[in-house]
Amino acid sequence: MAGSEAKNSGSKQSGAKKKEVKKETGLGLTNRKADNFGEWYSEVVVNSEMIEYYDISGCYILRPWAMAIWEIMQGFFDPEIKKMKIKNCYFPLFVSPGVLEKEKEHVEGFAPEVAWVTKSGKTDLEIPIAIRPTSETVMYPYYSKWIRGHRDLPLKLNQWCNVVRWEFSNPTPFIRSREFLWQEGHTAFATKEEADVEVLEILELYRRIYEEFLAVPVIKGKKSEMEKFAGGLYTTSVEAFIPNTGRGVQGATSHCLGQNFAKMFEINFENEKGEKAMVWQNSWAYSTRTIGVMVMVHGDDKGLVLPPKVASVQVIVIPVPYKDADTQGIIDACTATVNTLCEAGIRAESDFRDNYSPGWKYSHWEMKGVPLRIEIGPKDLAKKQARAARRDNGAKIDIANDNLVDEVKKLLDTVQQNLFDVAKQKRDECIEVVHTWDEFVQALNQRKMILAPWCDEEV
Amino acid sequence: MAVSLRLPSLTLTNLFSSPSSLPILRRRRPHGTLLRPPPLAASFSSQRAEAASAQTQDKSKSSKGSDQVITPRSQDFNAWYLDLIANAELADYGPVRGTMVIRPYGYAIWESIQDYLNVKFKETGHSNMYFPQFIPYSFIEKEASHVEGFSPELALVTIGGGKELEEKLVVRPTSETIVNHMFTKWIQSYRDLPLLINQWANVTRWEMRTKPFVRTLEFLWQEGHTAHATPEEAENEAIQMIDIYTKFAYEQAAIPVIAGRKSKVETFAGANKTYTIEAMMGDRKALQAGTSHNLGQNFSRAFGTQFLDETGQMQHVWQTSWAISTRFVGGIIMTHGDDAGLMLPPKLAPIQVVIVPIWKKDEEKVAVLNAASSVKEVLHTAGIKVKLDDSEQRTPGWKFNFWEMKGVPLRIEIGPRDVSSESVVISRRDVPGKQGKVFGISMEPSILVAFVKDKLYEIQSSLLERAIAFRDSNIVDVNSYDDLKVAISQGKWARGPWSATNEHELKVKEETGATIRCFPFEQPEGIKKCFMTGDPAEEVAIFAKSY
Repeated sequence: MAGSEAKNSGSKQSGAKKKEVKKETGLGLTNRKADNFGEWYSEVVVNSEMIEYYDISGCYILRPWAMAIWEIMQGFFDPEIKKMKIKNCYFPLFVSPGVLEKEKEHVEGFAPEVAWVTKSGKTDLEIPIAIRPTSETVMYPYYSKWIRGHRDLPLKLNQWCNVVRWEFSNPTPFIRSREFLWQEGHTAFATKEEADVEVLEILELYRRIYEEFLAVPVIKGKKSEMEKFAGGLYTTSVEAFIPNTGRGVQGATSHCLGQNFAKMFEINFENEKGEKAMVWQNSWAYSTRTIGVMVMVHGDDKGLVLPPKVASVQVIVIPVPYKDADTQGIIDACTATVNTLCEAGIRAESDFRDNYSPGWKYSHWEMKGVPLRIEIGPKDLAKKQARAARRDNGAKIDIANDNLVDEVKKLLDTVQQNLFDVAKQKRDECIEVVHTWDEFVQALNQRKMILAPWCDEEV
Repeated sequence: MAVSLRLPSLTLTNLFSSPSSLPILRRRRPHGTLLRPPPLAASFSSQRAEAASAQTQDKSKSSKGSDQVITPRSQDFNAWYLDLIANAELADYGPVRGTMVIRPYGYAIWESIQDYLNVKFKETGHSNMYFPQFIPYSFIEKEASHVEGFSPELALVTIGGGKELEEKLVVRPTSETIVNHMFTKWIQSYRDLPLLINQWANVTRWEMRTKPFVRTLEFLWQEGHTAHATPEEAENEAIQMIDIYTKFAYEQAAIPVIAGRKSKVETFAGANKTYTIEAMMGDRKALQAGTSHNLGQNFSRAFGTQFLDETGQMQHVWQTSWAISTRFVGGIIMTHGDDAGLMLPPKLAPIQVVIVPIWKKDEEKVAVLNAASSVKEVLHTAGIKVKLDDSEQRTPGWKFNFWEMKGVPLRIEIGPRDVSSESVVISRRDVPGKQGKVFGISMEPSILVAFVKDKLYEIQSSLLERAIAFRDSNIVDVNSYDDLKVAISQGKWARGPWSATNEHELKVKEETGATIRCFPFEQPEGIKKCFMTGDPAEEVAIFAKSY
């Protein structure tokens, strides 16, 4: 059965069989990506059943359709960092204010966004307690405690958790929310060289998440002094670009913290020469924002478009009965198709709901961004084939039953690659090289991404 | 339906509110009261100082070793537990009172629990999702009259981004209110049912008395929430989930839990029925290790969660909820651990086999290390979780103690003689001394792998058998209240026919400290007489002191 979580069916229905519904009724988006991007985005994330708005502004409910994407990315990233001997752990949600304030620059960067627990039940807490906006200040006192000698290094920990940043700027599901899910890696090394190497190794993993899984082209780079992580030495990031708005989006960050936190938290170790030295640290994170970037880059006016690699349902099989034709036979063929595909490791499901027409189902699953749709009607049954429709470009292909698995696999790969290629082309078209301030302003107004020489002096 | 709708706490409220004799964490508490978070610089350095003085070994690795001694279980079970957690590097104390830092080794155990359960949840049709952590106070207030147990425990956020918030926000102690709020929105017709979701999340309950893993201010768990069209479906779901938990406990954790139904007193007023799995810890106290509630229509009526059924009638949905938390890790520690430290069932152990290379002379080192590496490769390729401890600044003796403390099921020793005879020495964690040691196991991959897999399987069964024997020898079948009093005073569990009233039950609690853990699913045959009243009783109940 397609979709194990209930769908929002809009208006209440009677128990009687729903009449044939035209494709357009109540299912299309009212906003167009090119015209009102902001409203289009909000509509897509809700109508595709990824997000539900919540009574607290800036907080959203992640529905299974979105959670599955998060879990697939986790399924890639977690084993990769385990290979790098990074270990998962869990530090508390709560930070005491004194510890939060230990690293001055860090606190300047984050303090305005912290949420404070001031009461427990009816009692006021003597000292209010902060909810982690990021866990450096929670974790590093323990690093200080646990690291004594060079043999305790490198110390490489990661945690998957939720963080809270009480921002007031435009909340946007996935992109900017007050609570979000992420992973944060925190590592300590004896030498800067080791730290530098890891910063880039992780950055490469982030690039892979974006380019190989989400089919989103990103640019790797180093942040300016002003934009770097508060309290760190330097920040590297992968940057995505949304052509429709001409806005860049920070995709993920990998920071070298230098020794700033080591100084503040007294994270010292006895090196091989017996001298006291400070550790060199990194921290790196990617969050549920990745999902938002994917929506913005690939979505269209029919709704969400999911790259096959992260789609929880890669193929949706829909029976197309016709009057008195062999309906049971069609249903059986659909079931067989789903089984064959699943056995081959493809995430396929069928939609047999008899209260919705095939046309309604096409729109519904297109809204949800399923990469491939397979339709089986009486003619397909007779010809021992199925009709496939690609979500990315609408192309329709007939597939013989005998070649089902191979063809579907090829199609999914093609869709994945195509999504990336198209996104990359659109992004590249937006890049403009400039040399003067005037050119800069003009390009920005044209929603371009600008490549310009920059001395990064503080002014 | 005059049911007071107390928020079910899913696994733990019951124990939070019951004033069982829970020792306060004395050993490591920094200066300061229970309520106030300790002064910062003081908290860590004083923790360090206190820890150093309180223990024979301090936090620095270099002095851990053969003098790594934990308080014997028989002497002070609670001190043993805390020592073990510190020495096996499972957890550390959080900066805010009652919070816990789950260190990688402890977290890895939680991850094996997660991996297993996640598969089972998906197999039974549930989808993962994520609800926000903050609940508007008004949501909770909707249930204020029914949340007596919770309100003193709620953590409230009143300031965000430097401003006072318009409405106080509660940090979730459990997610019913948000879940039901959404269910009401998502469910309209019978076609929307069943709705089967789960979330893995952290929850916060401002506890007074805490104990690492067992009861912490913030803990990790999974909470499943389902909605159904009929009461039969809801009941089947509740039973299905407690069965999954039972199977998990037996087969993965080697913990022979007793599954059963809670008494009315112990059932949450928000639930029609609560099912539980009760585990016997090493000190014979009971630990509620997981719960599954049949919520009936209690919440759907409070939240207006309705659906149009096939006949066109509006009906309220029937719901369940169920949870297991990081408390389960505490259960594993206290069920199998001994005076040498942690003892992990192979199926959940992050490291199943540790290889300790032994050499005296430098010339022996290379050969020994090479042999050790290849043995590691062989086992790793066979899918066994293996670690080679080739660090050079620790003695083999130190390593033996360390990895025993960490509960690794099997240890392989390789010395120069083993290298020449191409064999290894294998020691079981669960059988001490010479009895648990086997010499001369061939390094030849097929032989070695088969032997290791066989031994791991044996250890898994043996741990379970031992736990079953321990449990059974500490449950007394009673036929009178006096017999129960004797059993409880001896620290055992009492099992006897029960059909008395809630008042009787509370009297037993007051007089003996024991509560009804459950009416077990497995019931003895025959006619029974309630041991308290003498009236006919259909079921036996299990009484015990608990965590």
